[in-house]
Order: sequence, then C-alpha cells, then structure tokens
Amino acid sequence: MSLKSYSRGRAIHVMLVYTGGCNGCDIEIVNCIFSPKFDAEQYKVFLTWNPREADVLVVTGPVTKHNEKPLLEIYNAIPEPKAVVAAGACALMGGVYKNIHGDIPSEEIAGPVDQIIPVDAKVPGCAVRPQDIVAGLVSALPLLLNAD
Amino acid sequence: MDDNKEKRTVIEAEIPMGTVHPAALEPYRVRLFVEDEIVRDAEITVGINHRGVERIMEGLPVEKANSLTEKICGICSNSHIWNSCLTAEKPLGIEVPERAGYIRIIMEELERLHSHLLYLAHGSEVLGHETFAMRLFYIRETVMELLGMIGGNRVHYGASILGGVRPRCELDEMRIQQIKNGMDLLEEKITAFADRFVSDPLVMSRITGVGVISQKDALRLACTGPTLRATGVEKDLRRDMEEYDPFEFDVITQDDGDVKSQLLMRVMENFESIKIIRQAIRDLPPGPITNRSWEMKDTPLTKSYIEVPRGTLYHSYALEDGRVRNCVIRTPSMANIGAMQYACIGHHITDAQLCVVQCDPCFTCTDRAIQIIEI
Amino acid sequence: MSVAYSVIAVLGTLVVAFIVSLLLPGIERKFIHARIQQRIGPPITSPGIMAPIKFFFKQTINPNSPMPRLYNALPLISLLVVTVLLLFLIPQMYFVGALASVIAIIGFLKVEEVMYMFMGSLSRSVLSVRMPFPDIVKGAKHPETPRRFLEELSTLRAFRLIAFGSFPVYIALFVSVAVTGSIFLSDIVAYQQLHGPILFTVAGALGAVVFFIGYMILLNEYPFGILKAKADVIEGPYMEYAAKYRAYNYLTRGFLMFVLASLFATLFLGIAPNILNPNFIITIIVALLFPMLMAVMSAFSPIFTYKQFYPTVAAVSILGVLAIVAASL
Repeated sequence: MSLKSYSRGRAIHVMLVYTGGCNGCDIEIVNCIFSPKFDAEQYKVFLTWNPREADVLVVTGPVTKHNEKPLLEIYNAIPEPKAVVAAGACALMGGVYKNIHGDIPSEEIAGPVDQIIPVDAKVPGCAVRPQDIVAGLVSALPLLLNAD
Repeated sequence: MDDNKEKRTVIEAEIPMGTVHPAALEPYRVRLFVEDEIVRDAEITVGINHRGVERIMEGLPVEKANSLTEKICGICSNSHIWNSCLTAEKPLGIEVPERAGYIRIIMEELERLHSHLLYLAHGSEVLGHETFAMRLFYIRETVMELLGMIGGNRVHYGASILGGVRPRCELDEMRIQQIKNGMDLLEEKITAFADRFVSDPLVMSRITGVGVISQKDALRLACTGPTLRATGVEKDLRRDMEEYDPFEFDVITQDDGDVKSQLLMRVMENFESIKIIRQAIRDLPPGPITNRSWEMKDTPLTKSYIEVPRGTLYHSYALEDGRVRNCVIRTPSMANIGAMQYACIGHHITDAQLCVVQCDPCFTCTDRAIQIIEI
Repeated sequence: MSVAYSVIAVLGTLVVAFIVSLLLPGIERKFIHARIQQRIGPPITSPGIMAPIKFFFKQTINPNSPMPRLYNALPLISLLVVTVLLLFLIPQMYFVGALASVIAIIGFLKVEEVMYMFMGSLSRSVLSVRMPFPDIVKGAKHPETPRRFLEELSTLRAFRLIAFGSFPVYIALFVSVAVTGSIFLSDIVAYQQLHGPILFTVAGALGAVVFFIGYMILLNEYPFGILKAKADVIEGPYMEYAAKYRAYNYLTRGFLMFVLASLFATLFLGIAPNILNPNFIITIIVALLFPMLMAVMSAFSPIFTYKQFYPTVAAVSILGVLAIVAASL
C-alpha cells in the first residue's frame, strides 16, 4: 500500500450537511461521532465543519429547495478526492416527503441527493443507525484510497 | 422592540451564519447585526426545512397520517404521533385502554429525557465544552437503548396507534426490569453530571446572566414550555392533561430566565421524568393495550394540545371518510423564535449563539407550521 | 571541525524537533482528550502525521480570496518564522548577536500573531456571506447593512489578541531577563548554568505559570481559543486553506508547540535545545508535558469570551509583574 492511500485511510475528515431531514439522522450521525459509545475517532474518522478540510461529505435529508444551492456549493468547495455518503431514507429517495399522493411531484423537495450531487455510498434506514454510518463510510473508503 | 434593554440603533455590520454551521444542529440562518462584536439585533430565518407535511397529510387515511406526523421531527417523534392519535381519538370516541395510556406516558417521558439530554449536550458543545457534550451523549445512550428496546427503532419508534399502542411496544417483565435498571443508572449519572456542572466555576461564569428573558418579555413574546418556565411562570400543560392525572410530579420553575436557569431547568426536569416513569412502571395496570372496537365516522375540526419536551404542541384536523382534512400543526419552537432573537441582543457573538440554543430550537418541527398567537 | 559540529548540531536539532512536534497533536488527542472523555480516541499518528500527509496528496485548489497567492503563502511564512525562532535558540547560533535575544524572540512571536490577521482578512469562505441563500428580501431586517464574513470577525479578534492576549508570554520572557540582567540568550543560559535554573526561584516559578497561560493563548487552545471558536467563527482564519497549505498549518501548529516549550526550557531551565547536549532530553520532556497540561486544561473548560478573557489576562499579567518585581529585589 502506498503512502498516499495509507495516509488517506488513517485520517478521514467527515463533514455533515443536513438538508432538511427530520433531525433523526443528523443526531444519530453526530451521536456516532460524539458519543463515547460509538466514538468514530477510533476508526480515524474526524468530524469537521469546513468543506475545505473534508474528504467525505455525509448528506442527510431530502434536499429542500432552499438547500439545493448551498449543498452544491459545499460539494464544490471540497478538494478532490472526495466521496459522498447519502444517509437515511430521505437522502436516498426523498423519503415520505418526495412523493405526495401518487404522481403529484412535491414542490418543496429538490432531492433526492443523487439528483444534485453524485453519491458514492448509500446508507439506508429511517433513522440510520450509528453502526450503519460507520459501515457506509468504510464502503466509500476504497474510492478515496484508489483515487489519484 | 424592548423596554428593559437599552435601545441602540448603531449597526455596523451584519454577520450571517448558516445554513450549515457547527452551532446549529439543523438548517437555519441567523443574521446577527453587530456593533463591534456586540449583537444589536438578530434575525432568524426559518422555512429552509419546509417540506409541506401538512399538505401531504391532506387526504391521507388517518392511520397513515399518524405515522407521517412522526416523521416531522426526529427528536420529539413520539409527541407528534401521540398528539395526532389524540386528535382523532377524541371525536371518534375511542376509549384508550389504561395500560396503553401508561405506555404512552412512559414513551413520552423517555423522549423528554433524551430530548433534554440532547439539549444539554448541544448547549455544552456551543459553550465549547467538548467533554461535557461527550459525557451527556454517553448518558443519553442509555435512554436511546431503552427507546430502541421498546419501539424497535432508536428514532421514530411509532408507539401510539389509534386506540392504544402497537403490540410491539407491550411491556413484559424483562422490559420493565430493564427500564427500572435504566432509570436507576440515569438518576445516578445525571446527578453526578449536575453536581459537576453546577460546581464548575468556568462554565457557570459563561452562562450566568447571559441571554436573560424577563418574565414579562417571555409572556409578551409568547414563549412556551421550559423556556417560559425558566422565567418563573408555572405553566405546564401536563398539569391539565387527563393522561397525567394518576402521576405525581412537580412543575419545575427557575427564576432568572438566563442560560443558566434554562440549562438547570432541563436538568431538573429530567428527574421529574424519571419520577413519572418509575410511577408508571410501578402502577402499570394489566389488561389489553389496544382497543380495536371503534367505528370510523366523519368528525368536525378537532384541536388537541399536549405538553412536549419543548412546550405546547398543537394538532388539529377533521376527518372525512376516514381521511384527514385541514391539518394544522403548530410546534413549540415557533413560539420561541421571538425569545431567541430577543435574548441575543446586547451580548457578544459567541454568547449570542448560546442565546439561540438556550430556547431549544427545533426548526425541523417548526417549518411546517403556521403561527397562532397565544399568551 | 567546530564548524562541522555546529552545522550537525543545528540541523540535527531542527530535524529532531520537527519529528517530536509531529507527535504532539496525537498525544494531546489520544492520551488526554480521549482518556478524559472516556473513549478510545484516534491512533497517535493520525492527527499529527497522517493528516498532513493526506492533505499533501489532495488536489490544490484556488482559495476564495482577494489575493489567493499571498493567502496561500502565509502558512509557509508562518512555518519559516517558527523555524527561525528555533534556530536562534540553538547555542551554536548565538554568534548572531542581537537576533539571539529576548527582544528578537518577541519580534518573531509578534509576526506569528500578525499572520492570523492577514489570514483572516484574506479568506472568503462559503459558510457565511457566500452561502447562496435568499436573505435580503422584502421584510428582512436592515437590508442595507454591509455584510461581514466570519473570517473578518476572527480578524477583529486576532487584532484584540495582539493588543492584550500576548501580554502574559512577553512578561514571562522578561522574568528571566530581570533575574539575569541580560537580554541575550547566551547570557541567560550561562547564568543558569552557574546559579541553577531560574524555575526554582520564586520569580521563576511565578514566571512559569504566566508563561504557560501565555503559551495557551498563543496557540489559541480551547479556553483561550476565541479566535477560532467553533460556536461562531468555525475555524477562523484557516477556513479557506485546503490541500498542502492546510498541511503546512497543521505542521506549524505542532512545531510552535515544540518551539515554545524549548523556549521555556532555555529561559527557565537554562537548557538550550542542542542535540549534542544530553540535556536535550529535558527539552523534549518539557515539550511533551506542556501540550499534555494544556490538553487537560482545554478538556475541562468552556471557551472564554472577553468577559472571562480580560480578567484572566489581567490577573496573569499582574502575576507576571510580581514575578519581575520579585526577580529584581
């Protein structure tokens, strides 16, 4: 393993962007990183709030109209290589909010996330469990390690 | 806008924060108008989270709508589904079995525990005290495990259904024992934390006298819930709810209305919640947990108010052919936004974030609500 | 021959200092913060060594800044200043005269602080004003007000810190001057080799406490980290650094921790950093102890606003003045 991939695997900075979910996923993810019970730092995952520092972008929520542009801006601010993890049912398919009554499209939701930015790993669940988040990060990892 | 605080109009610059910011757990935008580094005015923009839940609920079968209300908020999900059930049960004349009522109370109080602990953890994080935040998240994990055990999911447990609670949420001997053990553990840990918290001079100097909301202003700004009680107004809707009649608990109030009283308020309410859960476990009546014998019929617009961790929650809808019509939901954070903006004024920017957080904002609830002014 | 020895001593000291400084953030995070917070914590190499290496391999982007090249050059200048500061602490370099004096050290530290101001005023992050959000709409409060970036706020704070925050460390530097009666490092070291370390006198002990608080303020560690308080300015002046420039920032911070600790060892223990001297181990021990103490302090305290910051600095400065008075008695 080259020094490049080794160092990338040993320090992963994660940024969390919430785009209008119900808070359930957000708090489970913060819980996953903050709570000493899960303690993502032991897997070399660090929480950051600055897109310039981040490697992995974790997105929750169905991306409401107001959040579409900020999400895109934040995604563009992250230097390559980067990976995006969409966490939770809303981020994957819009959840209960996307499809109102048959074929009527929702006017409030611009998502799901993969319509706005490319998604590399998807973590299902409503709300996601902290263990699944760590698993999702791990599944996005080869993309980072093998990038130039 | 204020009487007590000196009115100053010198505004040098605006500092917008958000929608993504470490001090906010959810997307909202705070615009702080500052003179030097002192906040002279503040504006909180909500509506970023608007997903139109009320519109989606229009025309849904009431059972489906109930489980949808749960997805409004990941922190107070049980409160929403419970109140939504109550809104339908009252006009339909559904008698909820006594045991189901007790289980609903247990869920609600567990939720209050986890919400308040989350609030304290978030507050500590904004204070810059990472160790307290982590410790509180660790304490909170006990509650989350209990909720996961009863409901099957750590968030969105979906305990209430029309006419009782879900069979999954039946409390057998093993679960009761676990809840008992959990309450003992929580009481011990929260007591230890509260001791540490109150005796920490650095933390106390940060939060004493900051973000003061006087009683008069709290009433004028139509605050609700713990935010109102921390200013000395003894108003807790749980006192008026018939569901809480069998239980004995105190309504906690604090006098100062600053961040310190807001935080201590929540710490003290945790103990009351533990007290209620212990009583509910002790007196848990036997019997069925679901009443299936009821008829669907059209009902007029019905209102229902309950006390949730953040204050008074209002649901109202009418039923037509078993479908929800004219749904309106008002969440407590809506009422507290005025207080958040007001409390910022006159403080340093770092304290201003604390002043916003002290009112326990939950904008993800708020952004599907209309405002009804009540004092 | 002696020239060759000197070159080996200087280069060897710099290299060893650099290697030790890489481990300091990891030690702080793993052994102190994580232990206090009852969790396992990251591996010791992750925050200090692997993170900078990772950033070196990231794509270099153009920062959002009115002067991107100057902005990107600042961390390098900052690293250079710290290296030069260490260079003049090494006894083989004392021939430079006035540059190896307390006054010069104060000058270098001042440059280090001024860097924050430049960084802050040149950064334009996406997280505040540039966030695409319809704020200024009908009914918005004060729509005409000029808007300020979060980094400009931290510039304002950096300016305040230059004005008052660095008092303690400068006063502490003058304690040893007051004891030895000379501003030259060579004289200070020589005095202590004759009379024993200043640390074990009343003035020196007081001065050490003052120096430690000043050390924390200079490093913006958490109780005194209002410059980069997460609750409002997120990361402050560093917001736009990405890729290798962020790596330089990581390295500078670790290196500054080491250099300030070896400054302490020079001024208060009389042990100048020199790899050929067996006492160099004491410098390393001091360099490990200081971040540990600092981490304990930061894990147990919330962030200070000016309301707590001013009295703390004032009290510590008074203590420093007392130490100087005690030294000149």
